[in-house]
Amino acid sequence: MDAISALLDWIANPDHWSGPSGVPNRLVEHIELSALAMLLAIVIALPIGLAIGHTGRLALVAVAVANLGRAVPSYALLLMLFPFFGFGFSTALPALVLLAIPPMLTNTYTGIREVDRDLVEAGRGMGMSERKLLTAVEVPIALPVIMAGIRTAAVQVVATAGLAALVAGGGLGRFIVDGFGLQDDGQLLAGAILVAGLAILVERVLTIVEGRMVSPGVRATIGRVDEVQAQPLLTGSG
Amino acid sequence: MRTFRSAALGAIVLALSLGACTSGGSSPSAAASAGASGGATIASTLILAGPPECPQRPFCLKGLTDTYGLKFKEFKPTDAGGPITVSAIKGGQAQVGLLFTSDAAIAANNFVLLQDDKHLQLADNVVPVIRQAVLDKSPGIADILNGIVAKLSQAELTNLNKAVGVDKKSPADAAKAWLTTNGFLPGPGGSGKGNVVVGSTNFSEQEILGELFAQTLTANGFTVTKKFQLGNREIVYPALKSGQIDILAEYAATLLEFVNKGKGEATPDPQATVGKLRDALKPDGLTALNVAEATDQNGFVVTSETATKYGLTKLSDLAKPAP
Repeated sequence: MDAISALLDWIANPDHWSGPSGVPNRLVEHIELSALAMLLAIVIALPIGLAIGHTGRLALVAVAVANLGRAVPSYALLLMLFPFFGFGFSTALPALVLLAIPPMLTNTYTGIREVDRDLVEAGRGMGMSERKLLTAVEVPIALPVIMAGIRTAAVQVVATAGLAALVAGGGLGRFIVDGFGLQDDGQLLAGAILVAGLAILVERVLTIVEGRMVSPGVRATIGRVDEVQAQPLLTGSG
Repeated sequence: MRTFRSAALGAIVLALSLGACTSGGSSPSAAASAGASGGATIASTLILAGPPECPQRPFCLKGLTDTYGLKFKEFKPTDAGGPITVSAIKGGQAQVGLLFTSDAAIAANNFVLLQDDKHLQLADNVVPVIRQAVLDKSPGIADILNGIVAKLSQAELTNLNKAVGVDKKSPADAAKAWLTTNGFLPGPGGSGKGNVVVGSTNFSEQEILGELFAQTLTANGFTVTKKFQLGNREIVYPALKSGQIDILAEYAATLLEFVNKGKGEATPDPQATVGKLRDALKPDGLTALNVAEATDQNGFVVTSETATKYGLTKLSDLAKPAP
């Protein structure tokens, strides 16, 4: 109960809602860091995932690298990167990008691979170019799986971006780390709730965005596909 | 309604991405800066790294401002004398860092520990604490342990910590090497001087100090039982009081405030603090021997390059005008 009243006191204090260390600015910092990390990770993971999914080449390597990426804890990564990148965003950003790549890469690759080969062959038979096959057949059908990867990555990134505070960065993690250091339960709890709330919000928003993007024909699966475990498909396309 | 909502969400997502592109790269300002800069002192050109609570703590940034009048260019919240602070100083992301005064990283990286010349920190000097009954039975123990304590300078203790923490020697080997170099080993030998139990809490400096005491007492004819890794002070102190252990290396100010339940009697003066400590320990049947020069308390360090560049040896040097 003490923690709850400490939390309410903390929230009620107007000092905590303005200035560079107030909630709005910390929220913006947190979103900036997460969004930039997601953007960079999408730029890296999606093209690779699409290429591997479409051609079936290098699948083993990509899956191995992606799964290796999952096994490295972000906290360890942060400590390893810190000496080279320094305080705050510059260290947290590469750590978050590396966190976001595996789920997007495996989902994109698996999503494309699992598109019915008959449909792809039908497209090819109609004279579609490889690029057209990818954009007009494979991606629209695989989109729910690809978006699920993006959602998973985004939630992980938002939840993990708080680690930036450990290396003197901003963001909502500041409240958690400072609250812990000052033994200020209210601040700690407020930070935890804000991070969790933001992660849930991002999940909901991306589900809605997904609903707008996915073709009506495959819409039944929206929000029901989660992160998939990638398995290299050893049988090539026929 | 649905169209509007989706459009709004799309706009938000777009705005966030754009915001991230334009401003995401810039580093965020620290949670608390050291305040307005007051003239171009050396401190005002340097960045301080310390634990997040540092700005509010009297023995950290708040004390540096109140006692030394220091205002830093910026404060960067890192960790409590841990790897991030060490890494930040080493990598030049911060120039001054808060570490513990006997931290092995100071010796390992040739950091310069700035002398606390205005006595901000409480005197957490190493001091052997012993049961009065044991001391009454074998008064010779006092001279033996005080002999070790007299040689235990700050640099010696830090180097001992480095031997264990960085060079990966066992506390027993590190202690043995130090005792041999300083002429405590081999001791006069003999046997039958009595049984004593030497304890330690659960960090390596404590084990090193326990080994120093145990090995020297053994070399002086005592039968020594070692009870190390006993947990924290909340566990070890009752064990000392009840006679489960006889001798323990302690830290004067922290132990005093532990025993007197935080009355605030500890001061930066080691002799005064240990005097108060003896009074406080008496009802529990314990006493403290001499204090060592070596401390394990908050200390501010810089790299040797920074020290040379600005001519820094003590904290008050940071208040001098910047070159």
